[in-house]
Amino acid sequence: MAGESAGRVNGFGARIVPAIPYFLLLAFTIWLWGIAGRIDYQERPGTLGPDFWPRVAIGLMGLLCLIRIATVLATGGAAARGIGAAITGDDEEEDETGPRRPILLGLGIALTLAYGLVLNTVGFPLATALFLIGFMYLGGSRHHLAIWVSSLVGVALVTVLLTKVVYVSLPRGAPPFDRVIDLISGF
Amino acid sequence: MWDILTQLGAGFLACLHPVTLLMLVAGIVVGLLVGVLPGLTLVMGVVLFLPFTYKMEVTNAIVLLSAMYVSGTYGGAFTSILFRIPGEPIHVPLLWDGYAMARKGEPARALGWTLVAAFGGGMLSAVAMVLLTKPVASFALQFSSPEYFAILLFGLMSVIALGKGSLANALISLCLGLLIASVGTDATYGAYRFTFDQPILADGIEFLVVMVGAYGVGEVLSRLEYGFTSKPLDKVANTSTQLPSLGEMYRLKGMFLRSTLLGHVIGIIPGAGATIASFVCYGVESQFGRRRREMGSGVPEGIVAPQSAATASVGGGLIPLLALGIPGSGATAVILGAFMLHGIQPGPQIMVSSSAMVYTIFASIFIGIAVMCVLGYFAIRPLVAILDFPEAIVSAFVMLFCFVGALAIRSNTVDLWLMLGFGVLGYLFERLKFPIAPLVLGVILGPLAEESFMNAMISFSNDWTVFFTRPISGTIMALALLTMALPLVGMLRQRRAEASGALKPAAH
Repeated sequence: MAGESAGRVNGFGARIVPAIPYFLLLAFTIWLWGIAGRIDYQERPGTLGPDFWPRVAIGLMGLLCLIRIATVLATGGAAARGIGAAITGDDEEEDETGPRRPILLGLGIALTLAYGLVLNTVGFPLATALFLIGFMYLGGSRHHLAIWVSSLVGVALVTVLLTKVVYVSLPRGAPPFDRVIDLISGF
Repeated sequence: MWDILTQLGAGFLACLHPVTLLMLVAGIVVGLLVGVLPGLTLVMGVVLFLPFTYKMEVTNAIVLLSAMYVSGTYGGAFTSILFRIPGEPIHVPLLWDGYAMARKGEPARALGWTLVAAFGGGMLSAVAMVLLTKPVASFALQFSSPEYFAILLFGLMSVIALGKGSLANALISLCLGLLIASVGTDATYGAYRFTFDQPILADGIEFLVVMVGAYGVGEVLSRLEYGFTSKPLDKVANTSTQLPSLGEMYRLKGMFLRSTLLGHVIGIIPGAGATIASFVCYGVESQFGRRRREMGSGVPEGIVAPQSAATASVGGGLIPLLALGIPGSGATAVILGAFMLHGIQPGPQIMVSSSAMVYTIFASIFIGIAVMCVLGYFAIRPLVAILDFPEAIVSAFVMLFCFVGALAIRSNTVDLWLMLGFGVLGYLFERLKFPIAPLVLGVILGPLAEESFMNAMISFSNDWTVFFTRPISGTIMALALLTMALPLVGMLRQRRAEASGALKPAAH
């Protein structure tokens, strides 16, 4: 009897986990609904306000979250699926080709965030070259020559293409790093 | 008809301009490479090249992107047949007969059938595209805001209904896209929405930031989590293409025409696209074809049906894009974005206001298919050899293109941060099985849908029944509702089948 009760608790606990994203989304929609209510505008009689359209989207999103929470908790997640799955016979887990490596993912995200943080200081060419080299090593490649040559040549080519052909203004960086972009563009 | 031929002739001449021709060949080569590389999807490839078209003349920009779109439906066939690695989901059906034929010692023949199918399907579909776009656009000229809203809703609903995952997740993704699109200054009142006192947000969030982040960074992060594991390849030194004889081709004419027509029609339906066309046509041959019992054993029918349908879907997909301004797939959504970046709104007026440009794009599709097949025939070895390139290096360059995409829009690092945020969102979507396509389409079509909805409400005194009482909009709204009902009917039928299956052993 006690085991059955524990099983029920475990079953319910197992169902809570897939419902968490919908709980978070629901909280997000409630917050957004409040923000939408504070949109500042001058009312025109007989015309829908600028908050109407976003509120329709927020309301629908909230309703869908509630429906998903209810179905996930009640049935464990059974839901209507698009007919594309039936046509292509896709297995959702098909793409997973090995064990997950969350540390690798975390390092990848950290490297990307670091790129964003240093971009304005060291400038586009240097920050991007360092990012490329770091990302290639992080991704498991050990072809040292290919990594260094492709990164340096690739960044130089893209910088010249963007500054001289497409005329895009790239972050130059603070002195003395700003001289790198001049050097590449001048070349 | 004469008018169409004259304008198409002028389009062919315009395509022969050195810069346009260069863009066309570049688009074909990049599309083939994107199709071959498993780490890059067709949509991602088109998205990553969009920033480089900012300063281009609009026709050249669209020629480049649509050439990538065409050849992306063909490039993945090589790796599917030779290595059992589908570069794109489009080419999964080629694993069954294409790879089987290769295993029987006839890889060159399998590649030859693929080339013939892509060429024939693409060309026939391009002819249909030229003939149909103008009448569709002329018909759409009588549309008013309720009809536009109904069409946009139908487009969005079919993308959701034809998706592969949870219907609710797809709708949530769409709502999020609509919300992102509503950030900035409202067009009717000039009110700031969700700007959080950030000046850059008053101009809204650029859809390119969302696309590049969600498709590019999100996909790279998802693959990084598995350590960029790629399958080792066999030698490609002996790879070649052997075209089938005219007699062999003639024997398959009925099946080829059926698959091409079906692929073209599926391409017209928003949300369906090349992958569904490819699977449906393979399924039709497996069910009703003359050699249905041999399908899967390496017969030409199993190669020609999916490949001709996939390439034919491109011509079909460009009709609603150009005539109605409705993108039917991720790739056409990006092409629509390219039009909008250059200040051109595709739709019924485009055949009147920019017909020279449209016919140049049409001509580029014909030339592009021919160039694609020539390259596919002669350059298959270097194309396939690129698979040996380490995925970590390819992915790092994908990230570089994503950064460039974000920085090129407004030269503002806030866009870079937004793009990285959408990249993480794209990763979370992938992980939690939320589809990305409705999010992106919501961002692109959201402002158009809101504008047509608000205009209809202002013009018809907030009477929402106008969407259902006008004949054209009412029909389209009914179609949209029917489309949304399809997955629900499917689920109910499946539950009934499961329930009856569960009852049978009990009765036994």
